[in-house]
Amino acid sequence: MTVASPAAGTEDTGGRPVVPGGWLGWVTSTDHKRIGLLTIGTSLVIFLLMGVLALLMRSQLAQPDLHVVDPATFSQLFTIHGSGMIYMVLTPFAVGMGTYLVPLQIGAPGIAAPRLTLLGYWLYVLGAVLMLSGFATPQGAHAGGWFSYPPLADKVHSPGLGSDLWIAGVLLATTGVIIMGWTVLWTVLRRRARGMTMLRLPVFCWSMIASCLMVIGAFPALLAALALLAVGRADASVFTSNTWNIGYQHLFWFYGHPVVYVMFFPYLAAVAEVLAVFSGRRFFGYKGTALSLLVFAALSMSVWGHHMFATGQATNDYYSLTSIALLVPAGVEYFGMIGTILGGRIRLRTPMLFALAFIPQFLIGGLTGIMVGTPVIDYHVTDSYFVVAHLHYVLFAGSAFGLFAAVYYWTPKVTGAMLSERLGRLHFWLLVVGTNLTFLPMFALGYQGMPRRVATYASFDGFAWLNLLASIGAGFLAVGIGVFVVNVLWTLRKVALGRSGNAGDDPWQAHTLEWATSSPPPRFNFAADRSLPPITSFAPLLDLRERRASGAAVGAEQEGASGS
Amino acid sequence: MKRHLPYVVVAGWGALNGLLLAVLGIYGESSLVFWLYGGVVALLEVAALAVLASSRTGPDQHVRYRVPDRGAGAVPVVALGCALVALAFVYGLWLLALAVPLFGVAIALALHGTTASEG
Amino acid sequence: MIQRRVFGTVFTLESAVAAFVFLVVLALVCHAVVRRRAGRQPTPSDRPQRPVLEKYYVGVLAAFAAFLVAWTAWQNHEEHRPPNRTPVRVDVMGFQWCWKFGYPQSPAKVSVTGTCRGKDLPTLVVPTGRPVELRLTSNDVIHSLWVPDLRYKMDAFPDHVNTFTLTLDHEGRWRGRCAEFCGERHYAMDFWIKAVSPEEYDRYLHGQPIGTGTGTAT
Repeated sequence: MTVASPAAGTEDTGGRPVVPGGWLGWVTSTDHKRIGLLTIGTSLVIFLLMGVLALLMRSQLAQPDLHVVDPATFSQLFTIHGSGMIYMVLTPFAVGMGTYLVPLQIGAPGIAAPRLTLLGYWLYVLGAVLMLSGFATPQGAHAGGWFSYPPLADKVHSPGLGSDLWIAGVLLATTGVIIMGWTVLWTVLRRRARGMTMLRLPVFCWSMIASCLMVIGAFPALLAALALLAVGRADASVFTSNTWNIGYQHLFWFYGHPVVYVMFFPYLAAVAEVLAVFSGRRFFGYKGTALSLLVFAALSMSVWGHHMFATGQATNDYYSLTSIALLVPAGVEYFGMIGTILGGRIRLRTPMLFALAFIPQFLIGGLTGIMVGTPVIDYHVTDSYFVVAHLHYVLFAGSAFGLFAAVYYWTPKVTGAMLSERLGRLHFWLLVVGTNLTFLPMFALGYQGMPRRVATYASFDGFAWLNLLASIGAGFLAVGIGVFVVNVLWTLRKVALGRSGNAGDDPWQAHTLEWATSSPPPRFNFAADRSLPPITSFAPLLDLRERRASGAAVGAEQEGASGS
Repeated sequence: MKRHLPYVVVAGWGALNGLLLAVLGIYGESSLVFWLYGGVVALLEVAALAVLASSRTGPDQHVRYRVPDRGAGAVPVVALGCALVALAFVYGLWLLALAVPLFGVAIALALHGTTASEG
Repeated sequence: MIQRRVFGTVFTLESAVAAFVFLVVLALVCHAVVRRRAGRQPTPSDRPQRPVLEKYYVGVLAAFAAFLVAWTAWQNHEEHRPPNRTPVRVDVMGFQWCWKFGYPQSPAKVSVTGTCRGKDLPTLVVPTGRPVELRLTSNDVIHSLWVPDLRYKMDAFPDHVNTFTLTLDHEGRWRGRCAEFCGERHYAMDFWIKAVSPEEYDRYLHGQPIGTGTGTAT
């Protein structure tokens, strides 16, 4: 342990020196920025893989009675697509963003317990590898759906090794995410720089507090559910009893609903930061938003039973009460976002495009969420394509758009180079068309009676043309993501060759502390010879610019007065 | 109050969950749910106490920090060991025979420190 | 068809409100993008919050949420009110991957099942105008009985019996499905639900096959 100053690195390291830029320097790094980037990079790679699985499914469903893959393989595809996107992509990416950004935003040189954070990352990676390695086993990967209800997921009905690997992988990865959640939470609560009071935390940091509280409170329930599943696979008699079948569902959804908000708040907050910066003003209704995030998170811990309305074994009235009550904090967040842009001076750069599209698109997910939180509607639409549409509007049209807004917004800070604006716009429009073309028809499909997780459907079901539209939309998504990949790789290549041109410390005229240091930031985030700007609010850089502007105006006035 | 705001946030959030649990008590649910949710509320309050203890012993905001500037070569080895333990439940407990030496290697690495300054 | 009616009422209201909210938000976003573009040189507002407006807004949201909670809970209880006549009982058993319908009150102990392959789908026969109590269970994994035209589904658990009552007010034949993923042939686990006149139902219970004429599905 040393004090963070450039001179501190000279103490005896007691071992062979390792080149910091080498691969060993990366995989053993205690620098929160590297750990964050490793997490984000890993989850983006898995994101691409999961997209391929989705394309396979959409090609099978494009027309009735198609058999691109057999039904058993199809079940593996949707199981791993769902598990991968939730356990291995959107959740780790959100926590990885927190790992990278939170110390910078609070003016700290590092994260609390960096070695533990690194351990969390490694558990996550190895968990992902274990889960995916199921495809290499004789019976293929796990095929019980991402929530893997017993008795279907027990040894009798899912005898494959893929199921065991799925349990082991998800258990490891979730343990890793819990560890990272703890260190991010501890950092934001206990490692703030002088002047950074709780009420001057950026909105993104508040979203990480809310998210990490859910991680530490709700995620252990998944570990318990997986342990129960593992016990049930060893002893088949466990799941002959209804108590444990329904008990598993309670344990699972106690995790399974809060995780949706862990996959949502950080992206929502990234959108909030982008909206404020590209509106040229501070975020509107800061206190209400921070408070509503905490209330939102607490409520979301108590709504899990709305996934069980059709089980006939849940207290539907209560879960409906808490689910519908969510519209209050969600409304407060929309109040802040809309208020910010209504009084802004809007620059339509790529991050802002994604952030603006997030607002109405996520709203579709949110409003249909109130519907599925209403038991009498849910009885019809649960486990149908209506729910598939709803969750993809929340997680793709919402969170993934926030994810891309974040990537375009923070890439100049992370790499020192801007992503191409032209490719970014192309990516954006392809994604908007693709997202709505893919997921909007699914509402109608579910309403008409198409169950989710069907490997195919009959021609007389009447689902053909809506499914075809959805599959065409998936094609747009594939091209759009392809453009994004080209954009990122091209930029990284330019950075590697030193031909990227410097983005500068603060290319967007941003508000928060990470933009007060160099791009990319030095090892300890803020160089010793460059003092932090005074932290006067949750937008210290905006305060600084305003003070300079008013100072200049006062100066000019005085000059004018003395001149006359 | 201001100084202990981190504690208040965590404790208050736990208490809000407790309130929601109490409302569920009015509606009624299976006993497993009350154990589960009650346990989580208790866990959150313990976390809040940890934050309080830390706030009492250190400053709320920092000027000087202690952060490591060296890599941690032992960590990936520990993680690999954990993965082997998880795999032992899939392929048999003999894998523990590989995991235990790995943990030994990790301890040795942690004591000796093989990675240099990243500063 | 109380399920269909209640669903229709609540779904219509919530869709209308949702559409209204969506259009308002979309209009506000479009307004901001058009009117507040940097090209038009607007001055960014320096008003950090509007607490009074926000309080009223939260009040309206909370009031609407309270209404929605109470009203939809009431609708839910209406939907599940016990029938005023003794219902006809049918035992439904889901299995991998088809259904079995048993009529415990029938003199001939009628029981129907199928393979759910090709056209071999089992038919659940019920009388019109009389409440029918379905007692759902499973002998392997969790299934879910869904009749999309009825706008209702309920899960079938092993080691547990779930019950719900439906009343069909006209003759016809509708498609039923399994909604809970239950393994490889989940996609094919369909059945028919057929409502016949009480007289024909009576004959059916005595072991006579149902006339081949199919009703009109709505």
